[in-house]
Amino acid sequence: MPDHEKDKLPQPVSSAAPEDGAKPAAGDSEASHTFFGESLVGLNPQELNGSLIVIEGMDGSGRSTQIALLQEWLESEGFSVQTSGLRRSNLVGRDIDELLAKNAVTRLTLALMYATDFFDQLEHRIVPALRSGAVVLADRFIFTLIARGVVRGINRDYLTGLYAMALRPHLTFWLNVRPETAFAREFKKAQAISYWEAGRDMSLSHDLYWSFVRYQTMIKRELESMAKKNAFIELDGEASVSAVNKQLRQRIGEQLGIRASKYTPSSALAHLWR
Amino acid sequence: MENQDTAVKAPPRPDASKTTLPQPGRPVPSRAYPGALIVVEGTDGSGKSTQLYLLKRWLEIGGYRLHFTEWNSSPLVKSATRRGKQKRLLTPTTFSLLHAADFADRCERQIMPLLQGDYLVLADRYIYTAFARDAARGCSHRWLRNLYRFAPVPDITFYFRAPLEVAVDRILSGRPKLKYYEAGMDLGLSYERPESFKLFQARILEEYDKMVDTDNFVVLDGTLPVNKLQKQMRDIVASKIDLKRFAPRTPEQE
Repeated sequence: MPDHEKDKLPQPVSSAAPEDGAKPAAGDSEASHTFFGESLVGLNPQELNGSLIVIEGMDGSGRSTQIALLQEWLESEGFSVQTSGLRRSNLVGRDIDELLAKNAVTRLTLALMYATDFFDQLEHRIVPALRSGAVVLADRFIFTLIARGVVRGINRDYLTGLYAMALRPHLTFWLNVRPETAFAREFKKAQAISYWEAGRDMSLSHDLYWSFVRYQTMIKRELESMAKKNAFIELDGEASVSAVNKQLRQRIGEQLGIRASKYTPSSALAHLWR
Repeated sequence: MENQDTAVKAPPRPDASKTTLPQPGRPVPSRAYPGALIVVEGTDGSGKSTQLYLLKRWLEIGGYRLHFTEWNSSPLVKSATRRGKQKRLLTPTTFSLLHAADFADRCERQIMPLLQGDYLVLADRYIYTAFARDAARGCSHRWLRNLYRFAPVPDITFYFRAPLEVAVDRILSGRPKLKYYEAGMDLGLSYERPESFKLFQARILEEYDKMVDTDNFVVLDGTLPVNKLQKQMRDIVASKIDLKRFAPRTPEQE
């Protein structure tokens, strides 16, 4: 395999189905979807009508709270919503949970299991939803997965190439918080910090708090390095839930053509609104 | 007494670089470790497993330090693969990724450490199986090449080539029923499994043939008698690999 070293990182290109002679929709319509590098086997991106919205951010940045609120808001506005996240695939979601629990897995295998989980959800959940015109709210995306691999010493080009067939999101929000704040929030939630959240596999520190802060700082730096190229919309995750939610609704409203974006959570979600 | 030291210090290969540690996601050249890797590839029914078994027996009987590894053998992803196949959840991409995860586990936990520990590693199928089969399913060559970039480059890759009809007949006569993915039914080539299997195998064969030059395959004729093929294989191994290095250390040597 002498040509391996010559393999170049795939450049982002807009892409249509290569076989059927369809011309790529080179950014000419707001509904056009593009891949990061190359197209998914058997998918014509012109069939996709929905919107893909990604929320990135470390544990404790408020992602899941915001997604619950956004889903309610979008449904009240009459949009069909699908969600996705890490380890939620039918194919390997539970297997990854087991691997993590047993802590008997090498970094590369784990990265590839997460990639399998990602593509299973992309092909069986995200793409069908986008075909039907739904809004997909993704609780993290390839960016977190790439960052986790890179901080563990996996080659960056390798990981980017791995996710070449991921769809480019329409909007990518990054809820940015300081690791110290995230630690406090996570600890309050479960009265504990998990092995993986603290990056304990990386032997950064025997001190749980410092391990968490160092690990999350490393991940944060990686996300920072991806932010510009991937048009992240950075939001202050330390602001109040309602303030962050307002900014999210405004940008998503623009994307979807929703005029009035007034929203107050129902009683079921009122406890999240502080 | 001092000979133990010399045995450790003696450079296994003139250009072996001891400082090169495996980098996940980067190609591993065969001189980065002292061991040697011998791989057999070919379509189902090409006779490769029989031949590798005989090669292994020859080396075992000679007392050489070796390890044998098979494609798709780690318990790690077995449950996921089984579930995916039973429920037909696998797409060309996830099929490929699951096998890559499985291979990565074997690579990081067995193949690389053993190569670094100066073993002769014999692999029944290697990354070229994925290149041929997953490309036949429609995955892009560029993506596949990147996916397996972390794999050490074999010292010898034997490619057992048998005409399509011979290979297909060997499989069809030996198996009562072809499995869904094995027959390539997910590609929608034919409703009949034997027919789909033939079409799928033809594509795989085409992909293998493309790699003969790019990946330095040693092509062997799978239709030759078993013992003749084995003789060829042993001659090639003996000429290309310094087998003495993997032999047990006898008192006379020391």
